[in-house]
Amino acid sequence: MNILRLLQTVDRRVIYVLLMLSVTIPFFLPIRLPMKVSPATQAFYNAVEELKPGDFVLLSVDWEAGTRGENGPQTEAVVTHLMRKKCRFAMLSFQPQGPKISQLIVDRLAKEYGYRDGIDWVNWGYRVDAKNYLKGFVQDVPGVIKTTTKGEPVANLEVMKGIKTAKDINLIINVTPSNIYATYIQFVAGAKKIPMVVAPTSVIVPEVFNYLDSKQIVGMMPGLPGAGEYESLLGTNTKVTRFANSASFAHLLIIFFIILGNIAMVMERRQRAQSGGNA
Amino acid sequence: MTELLVKNANVILLWVGAICTLGLYSVLYKENRLYRIFEHLFLGLATGYLVAQTWTDVLLPKWWKPMWDEGRWYFIFIGVFGSFYYFIFSQKHSWISRIIIGFFLGVASGQAFQAYANDYWPQIPSSFKPVIPHPETQITVAGKVTKIAELTTAGAINNLIFMVIVFCVMMYFFFSFEQKNPVIKNSAKLGRWMMMFTFGAIFGATIMARLALLIDRIDYLLNEFGTAAFGQGSGATTVFGILLVLMAIVLYLALKKDKESPDEGV
Repeated sequence: MNILRLLQTVDRRVIYVLLMLSVTIPFFLPIRLPMKVSPATQAFYNAVEELKPGDFVLLSVDWEAGTRGENGPQTEAVVTHLMRKKCRFAMLSFQPQGPKISQLIVDRLAKEYGYRDGIDWVNWGYRVDAKNYLKGFVQDVPGVIKTTTKGEPVANLEVMKGIKTAKDINLIINVTPSNIYATYIQFVAGAKKIPMVVAPTSVIVPEVFNYLDSKQIVGMMPGLPGAGEYESLLGTNTKVTRFANSASFAHLLIIFFIILGNIAMVMERRQRAQSGGNA
Repeated sequence: MTELLVKNANVILLWVGAICTLGLYSVLYKENRLYRIFEHLFLGLATGYLVAQTWTDVLLPKWWKPMWDEGRWYFIFIGVFGSFYYFIFSQKHSWISRIIIGFFLGVASGQAFQAYANDYWPQIPSSFKPVIPHPETQITVAGKVTKIAELTTAGAINNLIFMVIVFCVMMYFFFSFEQKNPVIKNSAKLGRWMMMFTFGAIFGATIMARLALLIDRIDYLLNEFGTAAFGQGSGATTVFGILLVLMAIVLYLALKKDKESPDEGV
């Protein structure tokens, strides 16, 4: 087998091993690649920064364990910012694992910032049928939410003081790997002119840009790189910075293999053409 | 025994997580029974969790309790009406399921109007962008003063590129007549190229997302699991050593098989 053929038929497991190494080794390297904040992340940050202490934020955590790698750091970054700004917030999810998995993050940060459940924040929990639910939600928030994950009536909670309709919400933050953000735009943010920001996974970033461009949302934290950028704005240095290093090395490896495979393919075609097209 | 389990619950959970992660990644070598076991385990857990959460967070507080504890007996009809869905499994009575399906089709169709208006209408005016640079200005329409932000030359070029792409992509989707005119034909061709760039960007973003998930798992194995299983200082290094051994085994088996049947590749 000649070298050109070999380069196009590298066993996929060899590539997997190299990819695994390119992701793992940066965890042990002391280097920190520079991070440039994108306008979309900056706009997201500004929207939270402009909130006043006591403002009420709806944090819709529509993600599950499968996308923890991206949505986890995004949730952590935005909750840290909300707690620093001393904003009240409520978590809601249309994914069954969302409330529990996000509560683990909030509980850890709440100890650091002295946030009290029911007073400074609340977990509304999991709900089904986003469209119908949000249609009712905009008219009567406590009446539709009814209870928290602990079974407490939300209307009696201190955190819910002054929150009657969706218009009383100062900002909607949606952390998601799906297009649930569009449902929020259709029935809550767009319908009631409530500012909204989205933290999507990288897969759906290209389609969310449309809504950012048309100002239907005021900011976006694009995937894991967005979480890294947000952390640099917050001045925190957690594991996301390490993640960014690993991602950069892995991207370089993938680009290298794409270029190598294509060069080999072009050269092999030329060889075939020169030898009369018999291959 | 129970006390021991409770005391070490966190460490046990981390061990289970690590074993499940490695079990699922074993598919990268080849399809195997271990992978299948963990795949089914995850599917079962996710489905069970969904059922439990739907009961505790939705049906219990919003249907069962009001009906049972608060005397709203008429909520029983919601249950009866909802159960119509299950008649889809009966060949003889499947017509009953069509009642509820039809009901929700009607609801969804009505909502689609509002959804469409709030989703797409604001995007139409935002697609019309100025292409001539200008300083910051104010205009007065019906007594209302509106400030228009400055448009730099770079911004104007950006807008022009945007407008050209919108035009070309729309041209591509004109199927009502044959695209013979060279302007229409070539702009449609350019539109197709632009869409290919977009699909490439989406594919690139997908790779980035998948890598983020891999990185998170590696972080879990090295730092969360490594620290709990092998201690704060050497945990990550020990797990890295184990991973290296596993990778070496995979490489050895892959290359050995490659020698035996050299035509099998990517």
